[in-house]
Amino acid sequence: MTGALGQIYWLLWKDLLLEARRRDNLLSMFFFGLSLLFLFSFAFEISSENVSRMAPGLLWLAFMFSGTLALNQLFQGDRENDCLDALLLAPLDRGAYYLTKVFFNFSLMFLLELCILPLFGILFRLDFWHLLPNVLLYTLLGTLGFSVVGVLFAAVTLRARARALLLPVLLFPLMIPVILGTVRTLQIILGAGTAAELVPWFRLLVGFDLIFITAGFLLLEWVLDG
Amino acid sequence: MDSVSKVYGFLWALRDVRLEIGAGEWVGLLGPNGAGKTTLLRILAALAYPTAGAVELFGQDLSYGNSPLRRSIGFLASGVHLYDSLTVSENLRFFVSLYRNDVGADERATVLNEVGLHAKRDEYVSALSLGMRCRLAIAKWRLVRPRLLLVDEPYGSLDPSGVDVLNRFLETTCAAGGIVVLATHDVPRLLERCTRAVMLDQGRIVFDESRRDPWDSFHRAFDALQSQDSGGPR
Repeated sequence: MTGALGQIYWLLWKDLLLEARRRDNLLSMFFFGLSLLFLFSFAFEISSENVSRMAPGLLWLAFMFSGTLALNQLFQGDRENDCLDALLLAPLDRGAYYLTKVFFNFSLMFLLELCILPLFGILFRLDFWHLLPNVLLYTLLGTLGFSVVGVLFAAVTLRARARALLLPVLLFPLMIPVILGTVRTLQIILGAGTAAELVPWFRLLVGFDLIFITAGFLLLEWVLDG
Repeated sequence: MDSVSKVYGFLWALRDVRLEIGAGEWVGLLGPNGAGKTTLLRILAALAYPTAGAVELFGQDLSYGNSPLRRSIGFLASGVHLYDSLTVSENLRFFVSLYRNDVGADERATVLNEVGLHAKRDEYVSALSLGMRCRLAIAKWRLVRPRLLLVDEPYGSLDPSGVDVLNRFLETTCAAGGIVVLATHDVPRLLERCTRAVMLDQGRIVFDESRRDPWDSFHRAFDALQSQDSGGPR
């Protein structure tokens, strides 16, 4: 495999190997997400008629907070021993590096979501198994949106001293369309809405993902080498 | 490098540095701590922007970001640029694959053997000493074969056989028409080998001469710098 594709392969190989050996990202995300869901389920007494309206928002808050935790750690492996310098020194396609990080973060988050979703159903007494394909489709689109913006801003705040604080401050306002899109679609799906109601939100999420993946692909070079 | 200056905040790391290096030269970069040696290496490696001035490499402007010129630049620094949680052979495989995709397992094994790391190929880098890490960095650049090799303070971590391995590699690089720029505080070891000595002080070049035996003028300049640093007569 040559060119950018080959580089994506090797970068991904490295990131997965590091994660498999450390497991810190996935474990911290999982336990944090799980704790949040438990807290939400006990803190809010949601009546059965309101559950399809309120639970999606709580679920996505748990996803976003856990995802932010993962984003803060995303470049950690490359920062150790100045490995990021070694990567920037190499004839590495910065776009390939961005796509690798997006794919890696997206995979971690999606894995977390697959674990959290059944628990979400149990804790909030939601029977959505027959709606799972739709739920997964919009979760995928929302997670991709979170990752494409999140990776770019994780790179922007990479050298900042108050990185852990700065990242959510910059990221969360930009995530409003994703939150709106995913929460509303989940509300529609759980509330037995029609497919026509989903279309505008589907367009919003796809458009958001496309715009920011293009922006991240083109901008990462300036962010990292600037 | 043409009139290159670099400022960090209010601190001038380099001031108006002009340096032209020919193919096959081994430049020894000397100077006290904070003289600007590492900054100079980082600018040559396109890892830092000069605040003013221009850098040209092999007849091309050294642009930043992903440039084809990056294939020609190597930066050997002891103890860094390696993943602790990957093994010796995994690190080698990963980094070399970013430059070349035609390196087979045999070639990697041969180079690891040459630097004395073959027996440790399955050990994690976190378990290696600083000297072993430096040997691994040598193996990496042996496989990549850059035309410009920047070396930052390698001698402190290497044992005598490691120094031999490094010197042989640097000589091979120069013999093939490459350029070596090596920053160190180990003056005697460097003067034995380098073909040119450049001394920096407070971001300026205060000495720049090609090899001559003995290095009398260098020693005079070096002594003057030492006495300045120790607060002696200027």
